[in-house]
Formats: sequence, C-alpha cells, structure tokens
Amino acid sequence: MRKNGEITRKISIFALIASLFASSVVMANEVNVFNARHYKADGELYSKFTNMTGIKVNLINGKSGALEKRILSEGADSSADLYITADAGRCGAMDAKGALQSGLTSAAIKDAVPKTFRTNKWVGIAKRARIIYYSPERVTGAELSGMTYEGLADPKWKGRLVIRKSSNIYNKSLVASLIKNNGKKATAEWAEGVVANMARTPTGNDRAQIMAVAAGEADIAVANTYYLALMLSGKKGPEQQEAAKKVKAFFPNQGDRGTHMNISCAALVKGAPNKTNAIKLVEFLLTPESQEHYVNNTFEFPMIDNVSANPLVVNNIGLDFKQDLKTKVSSYGAKQADALEVMTAAGWK
Amino acid sequence: MRINFWYISSLFISIFVIIPILTVFLSFFESTSNYYEILKDTFLFEYISNSIILLISVLLLTFLIGTGTAYLVSFYEFPLSNFFKWALILSFAVPPYIYAYSLTAFFENYGTAYSILKNLFGDKNYNLYIPKFDGMIGVILSLSFSLFAYVYILARASFLYQSQNFIDLGKNLGFTNFKTLYSIILPAARPAIVAGLSLVAMETLAEFGAVDFFSINTLTTGIYNSWITFDDLAFANQLSFFLLLFIFALFILENLSRNKAKYHFNAKGGFKQKQKLQLKRTKSIAAFLFCFLVFFLSFLFPLGQMLYWTIKFPENLFDLQIINLLSNTLYLVILSSFVLIIFSLISNYGNRVTKNKTLNILSTLSISGYAIPGVILAVAFITFIAWFDESVVKNLGLFSIKKIFIGSILGLVLVYFVRFYSLAFNGIKSGYEKINISVDESSYLLGYSKRKTFMNIHIPFLRNSLLFVCILISLEIIRELPITLILRPFNFETFATTAYISASEDLLEAAAVPSLFLILIATSFIIVTSKYILRDNNE
Repeated sequence: MRKNGEITRKISIFALIASLFASSVVMANEVNVFNARHYKADGELYSKFTNMTGIKVNLINGKSGALEKRILSEGADSSADLYITADAGRCGAMDAKGALQSGLTSAAIKDAVPKTFRTNKWVGIAKRARIIYYSPERVTGAELSGMTYEGLADPKWKGRLVIRKSSNIYNKSLVASLIKNNGKKATAEWAEGVVANMARTPTGNDRAQIMAVAAGEADIAVANTYYLALMLSGKKGPEQQEAAKKVKAFFPNQGDRGTHMNISCAALVKGAPNKTNAIKLVEFLLTPESQEHYVNNTFEFPMIDNVSANPLVVNNIGLDFKQDLKTKVSSYGAKQADALEVMTAAGWK
Repeated sequence: MRINFWYISSLFISIFVIIPILTVFLSFFESTSNYYEILKDTFLFEYISNSIILLISVLLLTFLIGTGTAYLVSFYEFPLSNFFKWALILSFAVPPYIYAYSLTAFFENYGTAYSILKNLFGDKNYNLYIPKFDGMIGVILSLSFSLFAYVYILARASFLYQSQNFIDLGKNLGFTNFKTLYSIILPAARPAIVAGLSLVAMETLAEFGAVDFFSINTLTTGIYNSWITFDDLAFANQLSFFLLLFIFALFILENLSRNKAKYHFNAKGGFKQKQKLQLKRTKSIAAFLFCFLVFFLSFLFPLGQMLYWTIKFPENLFDLQIINLLSNTLYLVILSSFVLIIFSLISNYGNRVTKNKTLNILSTLSISGYAIPGVILAVAFITFIAWFDESVVKNLGLFSIKKIFIGSILGLVLVYFVRFYSLAFNGIKSGYEKINISVDESSYLLGYSKRKTFMNIHIPFLRNSLLFVCILISLEIIRELPITLILRPFNFETFATTAYISASEDLLEAAAVPSLFLILIATSFIIVTSKYILRDNNE
C-alpha cells in the first residue's frame, strides 16, 4: 500500500512538472493572433472562422504596447502571426521597427480596402472617426458652423471643452494628424489653447466625455463615433441611453481636408509561422458578412463599400460627411511621439 | 564549510531570484537617448511627486483606518465586535483595481449613484451634485480601502498581546481612553504598525492596475510607459533605480521594526489575558458605526457594485467561460504555491544546516523581489531571456529558448517565484525559528539523516506555517495582474486578466462578472482560513 502511495505521489509530481512544459507544444492547423481589440464581436467572428475553416484561432489579449513589446522581444522566433489593434499608428510603428512582412496582397484584400487604409503589411478592418459632440441646448448652430479641430483652441470654448488624457492613443493619433497637416510649432500652440479651454482636468474614457456634456459639465467633447451609438443602443443601460439623447454629433473640418479617420488594423508579423492561415483570417474579416457583424455590434464604420453602417450610426451620427483621406493613416505612427511631446509641453494631463 | 546538496540548491535558488533584481540595478548606468530630454525631466518630476503624494496619503489613511478598527475590536465590546474582528480582513479579497472600477461605476455621470437618486427622488439632473472620485483621489481611496488590512492584522495581533497592565497603568495615571491609546498603547504597538505600514507602502509603490485605470503616472507606471511609449529601456531603468531607492529605505525600516516586533511578541508570557471593556451606549454606537462604515466601504460596496452590474447586464455572465477561468486561476495558484513552498523549504533548510554567511546574505538579498513591482520583473525577465537567447544560446548553435520561457506557464511561474519568494521564504523562516536547533541535534544523535530530519521532523512542525504561506501566495496570485498580463500563453485568461482587459476597453460592465468571481473566490479562501490569518492562538 505504502509503495503504491509513493508511486502515485511520484507520478503526480512528474505530471505537475510536465504540465509546465505542456504549453510549448505546438498545434497544427492554427493562427496566432496578438489581439488588442477586445470586443465581444471579435471573439464571435474568430469562432465563426474556426467553424468554417477548421483553423483554430489562438488569442493573446492585451494592450497594444505590451503586445508589441512581446512580439519585438521574441523577434524572429515570435509565435505571432497577426497583430490586431485599434489604431493605425500602432501598425505603422510596428512596420517602422521592421517587425512586419508583406503578404497581404491578395485580390480579395486589395479589392475590398481603399488604398489609404492599407499597405502590403497591414490592412484596415474597420473604421472610426474622431468627432465633436455638443449639447444642442448650450451650443448654437452659429457657434459650430465651420468648426474644425483647429477651432478647439478658440478662446470662445474657454471652460466648455472635455477631452481624454494625452496618454490616450486616439488623442495621440488625432494630434499626430494635426502635426502632419499644420506642423509641430502650430500644433504646440494649438495644444496650449485646448488646455486653456478644458472644463476639467482630463479624466475617464471617451464615453465619459460624452456623458460630461450630457450632464452639463461641459458643452463640447471630443470622442470616437461608435461610442454614441453604443450608448443609444441601450447596451450600456437606460441611464446612458438617456444621456446619449442629450448630445448631438458634429463632423469637423468639412470645409477643408475632412474629418479625422482612424482604423482598426491587422498586421502580418515577420516570421509568422502560419502565414497562409493569417492571410485567410484577414480575408475572412473583410467579407461582407464579417463586416456586417462588426458594424452591428461595435458600431464602427465598415471597411468595405457594399456594407452599410448600423442604423443607429446612420440616423444619429450620419454617413454623409467628408472623410480625411488626404492624411495617410500610416503617418499617425511616425508622429505619435511628437504628439505626446506637444501635449505634455502644453500641460495636457 | 561543507559543500552538499542543501548548500548547492539553496545557493542556486538565491542566485536565480537575484538575477532579475540585479538586471534592474545594473542597467541604471546605461546612458539614455538624448531624445525627449526635456520631456523626461517633466515626467520624472511628475512621477516622483505623484508617487510621494500617493504614498503619504495612503499611509495616513491606512494608519487611521487600520489601527482605529484594530484598537476598537481588540479592547472593547460593542455590537458585532466579534463579527468585525474577522470581517474586516475580507477587504483583502478586493484588489485595488476592482475597487477602482467600483468607484467609477458608482460615482460617474449617469452611474449607480445617479440611478439611486433618480429612483428615490424622480427625474432630475443629479450628475452635477455627485462627487467624482477619480484621478488621484480615486487611486488613494482604492489603495487605502484594500490595503488597510495589513495594518489592521498586525496592529491587532500586537494589541492582543499587550498587557492589561498597560491599560490599568493608563487608568491609574488618570488618562482618558484617548490619552491611554495615544501615549501607551500605540507606542507599544509601534513596531507592528510600522511593519504593516511598510507592507502597505511596498504594495502602493508596486501598484499597477488601479493606477493605470485612473491614468495617474507614478514611478511604476512611468517605468512601464517609458518602456512602451519611448522604447527607452534605459530611462525605464533609471526610474526603476529611483523606485528601488524608495523601496530600499522601506525595506530597511521594515526589517528593523520586524526585529523589534518579534521581541515584542515573545514578551507576552506572564501577562494576564485582558478583559475587553464594555462600551457605554453612545460610544458603543459610534464604535459600531465606525467599524461598519469601514467594512461597508472596503468590502460590501465593491461587492455590491459588481453584483449589481452582473445582475443588470446578465448577458456578460453567459459570455464568460467561468469554468475555464476558474480552472486557470486555480491551476496557477496550486502550481505556484507548490513550487514556491518546495524551494523555500529547501533554501530555508539549507541555511539552517550549513550556517554559511554568504548564503545568508544571498538569501536576504533574494527576498527583496517582493518589493519590486511585478510589471518591472516581467520586463526584466523578457529582457534577460531575449539577451541570453541572442548572445549565448544562439552562439552555441542551439534552438531558441524564447518560446519555452516567454508566453508559457513555465515563464509565468518562474516570475511569480521571484516576486513572491520572500513571502514563502519569510513565512517558513518564522516557522523554523520556533524549532529549536537542539531538535535537529537530537535527531542526528538518533541516527536520522539530514533528509530524514527534514521530512519526518521539520515538515510536521512547520505545517501551520506552510498553510499560512499557502494562503498568502494564493491570495496574491488570484489578484496578480501585470506579470500574468505580460507573460501568459495563448488562450489563457484568469479572472484578473479578463477583468482588466474588459475595463481597459471601456467595457466596465463586462469587467464586473470576472471581478465578482475574483472577490468571491478570494473571500472563500479568507473565510476558510481566517483563523490562520488572524492567528489568535499564536503559540
């Protein structure tokens, strides 16, 4: 009996040690995704892809910065096939570091996605605009007429503006696009004007900015398009639905280059062990069915032409606006560090 | 000096733990890039001042809450005082980042507070009247309410063995209760309170989740950000150096007071067990209210908020693979506790039988891993493995070892090991100190080998210490965030990472379900083992 017990103990210790290494065993038909987009809808799409093709989608979820570091540290031995993130600047930055490879060149991809939103190494999978929200009770049409991002620094908005922290990636990309268009010096002055106009020290996420306008803490807010639709959908509860009805969306820079656009992108990682599967997954994400799934769940704009945005977006935010297609989204990455510098120098918390 | 199995393995364990710590220290002397020089100065100032403000405020609050409640439940009888005695440690089950989610959920515009007011008093814009606990104040509250229990437990343990004579002394001198507390009880318990506060200080400096959630830049998040945003590992290391200076000072302070505390605890013999005083009506209500308020704010409030959201957005409950998350969490807990305890036992025993000075110093150094924030350890680990792989393994013509260590359970457990080694080592050490060395000698005289002495005599003696260490490690690992986040393998999530990921994506409602489960699991751990945590019958 005693001997048996000892054997069992030895086996269980061995099993425990063996399980330490179990994770490094590689499976055959799979694709490894380093994923910085954590919407439920994305997970559903990946399951659908697995059901259709038999290719297992392995996920490692995290914030973009940490994922990028891990891909870079693992270098050529990285297990990463695709890197999916919600900011074009991040894909550009990874490319600049030589961590990506070309291969996203199939007809399916090229035909689906406009040139501004792709390279050979990464491709947009969904679109969003960063726009202005305002309180129709406290902001007049005349005040808003011809409004631009540049106009956010106008002293008439003193104490009336809310926007997120400077560390936020959407703000970095927005300011990067301003630097690209107006130069660093002009943008530095602009940032000081914006800080002077803030109704409060930046705090909270995009939705919190919209709610601050609804609650009367501020008159205008800067936030991404899909947040308002998300609140209106009731998915965030009746209180936020009620709050969303108190604000209206406004597309800036309609008179010149158009409204700042950003994309979620999928990038092909250098040394990807499952390159073919990775390309298949990207192609799948760009099919009309997948795009439909995105627009109806995350309320982003579709990447491809023949899919329409969700009715909540169409009716409350609108589609009939001029997008900034002039400023290449790939430039956001290059100017992001400058953007942070400009904002920090201006005292943008 | 005798070289044997025990010596070699203890040496190996200590060196293994010290490597990442040294990596952080040594890279301080690398020069940083000149780019963003001005920006760095601005940031450095901000990081340091934020860290100091946070540290002082949290220490002050945890001191007031921790010693206040400990004093009341140790010396007085009032309604539910026996319940509060252990209920107050339940705050351990709520990590600071979940507290932060709750604060935001409750106080934000159109949040829970707004819904409550609206249901009570009808439609009106209450948002402008609801205070907003975010930013620095949010972080301070989150940390204070989830960390005060360190001070509470140690202060209470110290009060418990304080002699009734001290209280009588105060009475004889005609002191008021407050004066007795202030001039006699607190000074006598000072070493224990300082030990509790230094634990709070280390946790505060190492905090990642809550600080990151409210985007307050401290040295710890600064290190992480400069690594990520500026790609400037050297600047990150410079920040680490400043942080380590902070921590080093605390470490010395803690060690000094720990020695005194030990002396103090041992001096308990010969004193009569004190009787708790029955409080009069008003005072007893005040004591009850204070303890209830602390219990409510530190435990019921976050639990309630997470529960409310889980009920309000039930679809999140069904989306979550709870069994999977539970088994992942428990797997990490069991595996890490097992590895930590085995190796800490070996190195403790090695220290005991070899009595070697070098080994002793190395062990003392190696336990400083607990003071280094998890996020920095994870970064140091990746840096070290990448360097080792590029410059040693590849040159030997071997296969890359990166995949074995980065993004694997093995890597995860190794870094947990470095981080929590001191918890295990010290816990077992304090157990060992109670076994007189003459026990070993008698055992050898009876012809027992070293191995047999260890297995048949020490282990049974150490059972309680081992159990206590197990609980501490489990609670730490259940709520651990940065290391798990950076190093975990594919498709591997725990309650903590799921909550963090949802919260960082503006899906705070979805973060409620994993948070709720995390609180419940930690709570059940605490309830089952509360008598070991409180150590009322400390032999």
